Amino acid sequence: MSHAMATNAGTAFEPGAGVYDKKLGMWVFLGSEVMFFTALIGTYIVLRFGAAETWPLPSSVLNIPVTAVNTFILICSSVSMVKAYAAAVEGNGKGLRFWLLITVLGGATFVGVQVYEYMQLVGHGFAPSSGLFGSTFYTMTGFHGFHVSMGVICMSWVTVQAHRGKYDNGRYEGVETIGLYWHFVDLVWIILFTIVYLI
Amino acid sequence: MTTAAGHGQADAGHHGLSFVRKYIFSTDHKIIGIQFLFMSLFFLLVGGLMAMMIRWQLGYPGQPLPGGGGLPETMAPGGVILPEFYNSLVTMHGTFMVFFAIMPLLVGVYANYLIPLKIGAPDMAFPRINMASFWIAFVAGLIMLAGFFVAGGHAAAGWTSYAPLSARPDLSGVHMGQVLWLVSLIVLGLSSILGALNYITTIINMRAPGMHWFRMPLSIWSLFITAILVLLAMPILSGALIMLLFDQTLGTSFFSPPEGGQPLLWQHLFWFFGHPEVYILILPAMGMVSDIIANGSRKPIFGYHSMVYAIAAIAFLGWLVWGHHMFQSGMNPMLGTTFMISTMVIAVPSAIKTFNWLGTLWRGNIRLHTPMLNALAFVSMFVIGGLSGIFMASTPVDIFIHDTYFIVAHIHYVLFGGSLFAIFAAIYFWYPKMFGRMMSERLGKVHFALTFVFYNLTFFPMHFLGMGGHMRRIYDPSEYEFMQGMQGTNTLISIAAFLLLASQAPFMWNFFWSLWKGAKAPDNPWEDNGLEWTVPSPPPHGNFAKTPTVYHGPYEFASPLVTEDYLPQSRPVPGAGGRAAS
Amino acid sequence: MATTEHKHPNYMAIWAWLAGLTVAEVLVATLSHIPRHWLVLALLVMAIWKALLVALYFMHLRFEPRRLWPIVLAPLPLAVIMVMVILQEF
Repeated sequence: MSHAMATNAGTAFEPGAGVYDKKLGMWVFLGSEVMFFTALIGTYIVLRFGAAETWPLPSSVLNIPVTAVNTFILICSSVSMVKAYAAAVEGNGKGLRFWLLITVLGGATFVGVQVYEYMQLVGHGFAPSSGLFGSTFYTMTGFHGFHVSMGVICMSWVTVQAHRGKYDNGRYEGVETIGLYWHFVDLVWIILFTIVYLI
Repeated sequence: MTTAAGHGQADAGHHGLSFVRKYIFSTDHKIIGIQFLFMSLFFLLVGGLMAMMIRWQLGYPGQPLPGGGGLPETMAPGGVILPEFYNSLVTMHGTFMVFFAIMPLLVGVYANYLIPLKIGAPDMAFPRINMASFWIAFVAGLIMLAGFFVAGGHAAAGWTSYAPLSARPDLSGVHMGQVLWLVSLIVLGLSSILGALNYITTIINMRAPGMHWFRMPLSIWSLFITAILVLLAMPILSGALIMLLFDQTLGTSFFSPPEGGQPLLWQHLFWFFGHPEVYILILPAMGMVSDIIANGSRKPIFGYHSMVYAIAAIAFLGWLVWGHHMFQSGMNPMLGTTFMISTMVIAVPSAIKTFNWLGTLWRGNIRLHTPMLNALAFVSMFVIGGLSGIFMASTPVDIFIHDTYFIVAHIHYVLFGGSLFAIFAAIYFWYPKMFGRMMSERLGKVHFALTFVFYNLTFFPMHFLGMGGHMRRIYDPSEYEFMQGMQGTNTLISIAAFLLLASQAPFMWNFFWSLWKGAKAPDNPWEDNGLEWTVPSPPPHGNFAKTPTVYHGPYEFASPLVTEDYLPQSRPVPGAGGRAAS
Repeated sequence: MATTEHKHPNYMAIWAWLAGLTVAEVLVATLSHIPRHWLVLALLVMAIWKALLVALYFMHLRFEPRRLWPIVLAPLPLAVIMVMVILQEF
């Protein structure tokens, strides 16, 4: 680097991260989200190791098939999100609006199923106050659900904006940025589903 | 991706903004920085007044607080502070000072104000997120203040809120106060994260042409690395606070032992955040002091690159040492040894920085202006605080001094003697740029001298109390026979503390009087090199009429290539280009 | 914007992988006769595999400038350190 500076009197601009501001900002924000979920998931791992003998088998408490279908729905909404992004890049406004709508519906369905799941579980006597498993289960999945809900709200707004033509003519940045958040939430669910429901 | 040029024209039409958009819900980083300044100075005063009440109780146990008759019966009947209220005072003094005074003063005020100006950008990358960051912090402050007015009093489990005391209302007798405390800090965490992502994005993507990484002033380097620490540490605290909140409200059992919860887990999570937080509170101070010492010595900073690497090393090692807060908590002894070693290692980059400051001063053409005096106080007090830190890093010594006034002395030497002196230096240094007026140098020096003397009289004797076994957070030391001989020292400390508060009067007068009556500030009153000194005081909306080009590092003082003893970063001088920073 | 030039991966193929791995996970979790640590290991590998697919292809990390990677990866070692150290308490 010092060599380059010596040769061109140092006026050449050294580019930043090589991506536009919004995308960089979102990645930086996701870094903090990783740490947030680390606190919650790490707590779960630590408490479970500390009480390995008395920890109930998840499948004895939770409804795995329903959640497996729900996982599939969330993965599908991630695919529709990249389809929306690809449409935005190509300047295909119609495709963009269609796929965004599918994504919003997918996210909303996921949250709906989760609410149903909670109601069933509480009905069977499994609540946040049900020992360590209840505490960690509801905190982790609840905060994930909160993130999906926030995503659905933001995504609805993006869909409205798409109808107003904000992302026409290949101005895809906003769609890509919200998409990063959406995929991240999907990614967190992939981890949660495995370590909370299956292991 | 020449984003810096692209942002330049965005703010051309600002003159039509209403008063509310311009000064209250402003998206201008300079206004937001000034908003943070007033808010955090207010909380600094609140925290200071609480310290006075604590000192009154310790200096004159059981006697009615002068003017304390106005306090409600639940806090201080007849002016005599109740033990429960004393616990709240200790808790809230720490909370306000750490989260609402020092942290926003460093990260809220100076990161906001200086980053775009010093890297040659018109504003932050996300101005509206920046505005949200301030107003969210403001709401958090209101929630925290509200805790004093709820039934059961404010949180009283210490600023560290150790579980299970903080998790179970039946143990502490405090429920609503603790809940508000938790909610407030969760909200504040969101504000800090939004701020940090803005700072990081701005510094990475919006530097002016020629502002290479190794031409950034050390203040910007330290604020950048601090922002990374905030970004990655605050969410851990938020997660822990949320779990504690659920323990309080939803009946979960994360930290409550009867149901299998782990109180030690709270300490681990808290300090995994808490130790990076310590560096959040000192690194920006180090960076700004480096700028001011180079300016006051009229010499390039000694060892610029080693300064940058030392900041980075401190920040990284800061993640590996959190257990040294927990030596006496009953954690795994193997971890204790590991944390002792990693903590000792941090002394190395800290010493590098200290020697570099001394190297900068060596044979400099020193100008003892008020910012410089405060910066020198920072260096000397930080050395004392750092050395006492090495005492407690050693596990056998820590057994003896843990939870005593030695710890209280240490934290005040680094937080008051370190961070706050640096903040005073920064306020005096950048005030002309912020408000377009000079502060009075004479009053500034009076303020500095009084503060320095009474600060040392307040906190240095605490070392002796701690060695004598005086416990921290204790309500009435005179109840213990072995501490009765220390009452004289306690009274002396209290008198010094009251005078320390009184010494802030010249500062407050100077600050507010100069807002209207101070001499008009020139563009570059301190003859400094940073880009912020090339624009008018105060800088216009959008900062730079034309995006500046940077030709050399920020510390080109006493350059043989020019007749002045300073060389602004944006002034092209043939031959000076290759000298990046040294 | 220079970053628009990358080719799109085959999103439907990634989707098929994710769906297939999810089915595989649910099935593997029902195998109660194999030792538990192998079961856990297999499930973790599949979860990380899926997470990587999402990060690399849906979030386009694979096609981003390498300078972005340190920013993205920075939290991971800290997360691992925190959990591993706290686990030493047990």
